[in-house]
Amino acid sequence: MLSDILTPQKALFPDGAHTELRGQLNRTRRVVLLAGNLIQNTRSDVSGVSARVYKNGVYGFSSMAEYSPEAAQAVLKAAAENALFMDEHVRPGKPQLPPVGSSMTAPEAALADGAQSLYTDFARAVDDRVRSRYKNVVSRRIVVYEDSMEKLLRVSQGADFHIAAPRSYCYVFLTAETPAGIPVELFTVAGGSGVFADNFSDPAAMDVLTDQLYDELMAKREGVYADAGEKTVILGGMMTGMLSHEAVGHTVEADIVLGGSVAAHNLGKRVASDKVTMTDFAHTAFGAPCPLPVYADDEGTPARDVTLIRDGILTGYMNSRASGLHYGMEPRGNARAWLFSDEPLIRMRNTAIHPGTDRLEDMIASVDDGYLLLRSGNGQADTTGEFMFGVTMGYEIKRGKLGRALLDTTVSGVAFEMLKTVDMVSDTVTWASSGFCGKKQPMSVGMGGPALRCRITIGGR
Amino acid sequence: MEKLLKIADFLLEAAKADGADCAQCTVLESETREFNVDGGDFSLMRTLFDRYISLTVLKDHRPGSVVVNRFDEASLLSAARDCVAAAESAEPDEAREFAPGPADESFTLGAPEPDTHALFSRTAELMKDVADRHPKLLMEQLIAAHTRTKKVYRNTNGVTYRTLSGEYGVSLTYSAHDGDDSTSMYGGSLSLTDLSRPFIEGSLIDREMAEVEAQLGAEPVNGKFTGTALFAPGCLAGDVFGQVVENFASDTPLIDGTSLWKDKLGEKVADERITLSISPRDPRIVGGQRYTGEGYPAEDFDVIRDGVLTGFRLSQYAANKTGLPRSGSTSSVLIAKPGDTPLADIIAGIENGVYLMRFSGGHPSANGEFSGVAKNGFLIENGKLGKPLTETMISGNLSDMLLHLRAVSRETLEDGSTVMPYMAFDGVTVSGK
Repeated sequence: MLSDILTPQKALFPDGAHTELRGQLNRTRRVVLLAGNLIQNTRSDVSGVSARVYKNGVYGFSSMAEYSPEAAQAVLKAAAENALFMDEHVRPGKPQLPPVGSSMTAPEAALADGAQSLYTDFARAVDDRVRSRYKNVVSRRIVVYEDSMEKLLRVSQGADFHIAAPRSYCYVFLTAETPAGIPVELFTVAGGSGVFADNFSDPAAMDVLTDQLYDELMAKREGVYADAGEKTVILGGMMTGMLSHEAVGHTVEADIVLGGSVAAHNLGKRVASDKVTMTDFAHTAFGAPCPLPVYADDEGTPARDVTLIRDGILTGYMNSRASGLHYGMEPRGNARAWLFSDEPLIRMRNTAIHPGTDRLEDMIASVDDGYLLLRSGNGQADTTGEFMFGVTMGYEIKRGKLGRALLDTTVSGVAFEMLKTVDMVSDTVTWASSGFCGKKQPMSVGMGGPALRCRITIGGR
Repeated sequence: MEKLLKIADFLLEAAKADGADCAQCTVLESETREFNVDGGDFSLMRTLFDRYISLTVLKDHRPGSVVVNRFDEASLLSAARDCVAAAESAEPDEAREFAPGPADESFTLGAPEPDTHALFSRTAELMKDVADRHPKLLMEQLIAAHTRTKKVYRNTNGVTYRTLSGEYGVSLTYSAHDGDDSTSMYGGSLSLTDLSRPFIEGSLIDREMAEVEAQLGAEPVNGKFTGTALFAPGCLAGDVFGQVVENFASDTPLIDGTSLWKDKLGEKVADERITLSISPRDPRIVGGQRYTGEGYPAEDFDVIRDGVLTGFRLSQYAANKTGLPRSGSTSSVLIAKPGDTPLADIIAGIENGVYLMRFSGGHPSANGEFSGVAKNGFLIENGKLGKPLTETMISGNLSDMLLHLRAVSRETLEDGSTVMPYMAFDGVTVSGK
């Protein structure tokens, strides 16, 4: 636990400037078994303190890999000097940041730490089960990890807080061969917010997921290439989450808008069919806790939801305090930093398209010739909204029924065009939270959504 | 440096006292000075004082690793204890080992002392140069930094390396805009050891900016065809050769046996004009690698020489697992041999194809199949660059593609991280609307 050595340093905050002082600990535990070989068995504990000072439209920042009063004083001094250097050399002449609320409620900060055997034993047990249960697998990889952030923030104006955010996961990757001897791979992941010991007590509980994964892998090894071109598809909830995050979410981060994203010209305009509403949720969504709840950001702004698209109309951006000032929008807690040595950047939290009223079975039955796309390995998007997602698991749909599985393929499109083709939205949201969003720094984020029927370009041969 | 050596010794002794049979550690201190431009304006100056300790131990052939960043005695003792406990939780694996000693080397790399004011001036100059030469470009983000690093590696076999290094890094993300029209974002980077030249004169920066400006008004390809893909050097390094090494020639696919090249050492895997090396000690590379993660001296080596597979990028651990030889380096610094054909002549010889500066795609399948979006590109028709492209996908197979090389340029990208020509490959599927 970080002790509060920062509050007394508030007396040293420079006058006439907004100041943030943050102590932070990032803890990572990671075990990787490749074909039964332990190729990674690592514990990481990285902590320190940073300060950021805003003066007339520019920031100075400094960090030190030491958590002590002396380090806090040193980074405050260096950050103030850097802000002064920038102000003198750039002369931006912008006003002070408007105030934000200072009231927030978050669960008590606590990070229970487990011995490394907690992770290695679990990984080995899952590996043993996978090896014994699935005969037609040529390779397997088990990844067990936990990463946790503990933050203590003191600001000249806004919410001071002390929070902890642990998350933990178990990945299983399986590889099989097609009849022609070509390797095909799939993975599944379990876990979410919380420390490992709370999320994973019984390796056998992974069987439900890995059984499904194996069945899909066996179907995939007999799979076919998709027929390339623009098709009617049903994106599963995980794919919709990827779309929400990569193709829409990044383009409506206000710093990316300022950098020229497609959203700069579309505020208040139709960017999707009226069946599409999308929100960046802070800590609670659809009446339940978000996968990775955020209660306040690293600028001291209490976290609230941001409605990005309502009934197909682009309604807002995600902001920091500085971008909120620029756009005349209210910051709602999106400025987050990954390590103590990172400055807060505008990041998504739990970004999702809202559920509709359609049943997935009816959606499949409605497609005469198309695809059901279920799993994605990765995705990328452009500031133009042009996106690409790898599809690792999907099926043909022929005359309303599922057909053969697909080999790996890719879907692409332009988000604000493709979303206008959405004409059915399922009633169930699927969330994912295990990956990292990359943008100068990594960040843990949640993403989710229902199944969508839409038109999309699919790659093939 | 002596302080770091003492910390390393203290940590190794503590690990042995806790029961480790052998151990290795890296102890590092760094200082970074950095300027940021966001949305076309200066936004931030950062000064970072960082530390890092990595300790790996073997106990009864069981491996454990910890990473911490505190140098006080109590933290070091705790790190050693945690590391040995982690090892005790593992299964024995006799393939693990550290480099044998004795060895003792010191390296001074790059420009350890920063000139912060000159760095700011060069950054401001770049912003002005971009505004003057490429008025349609909007700089989404520019990061200019200098990092000075002191680093010690030591293991219990008597191997010690000391490194004092410093380098300037510039990374750019930008797109072109004209009213509501905009291009795909593009990123370039430079690693430098001095600030003697304006950044815009570095490597292909100016040329790339002109190409991105010319991409306004992009359209999809009509239909689908099989043709030639001409890869710009940055795309070739990361999305072609980087993936080739990851998929076919590195630890994971060779340990788990999924590499298509696992039995092809000494065989032809590419056109004879392709020579690809992993060369972290090349003088054109800034920083690079002087020793591997297991403590072996780093040496440059060829993965592909004149089209023949001559080496895998393998750690000693993977070598012990597979029976294949350990490579001279485990670096990701890739250098490809240029050709003698001017880029303009290569384009003039292409009947039907695409030129792409960036590829947005997933990881290729284990069998090398890839598909994704050709970004920042142009159609090539009848020997001429045609319309700029959007919503255009390319697909193919990496291992097949290397055997269908059309041409290699004499021009190269030299950005301090790679040396790479342009290459054109036939037989790539291009599809649009």
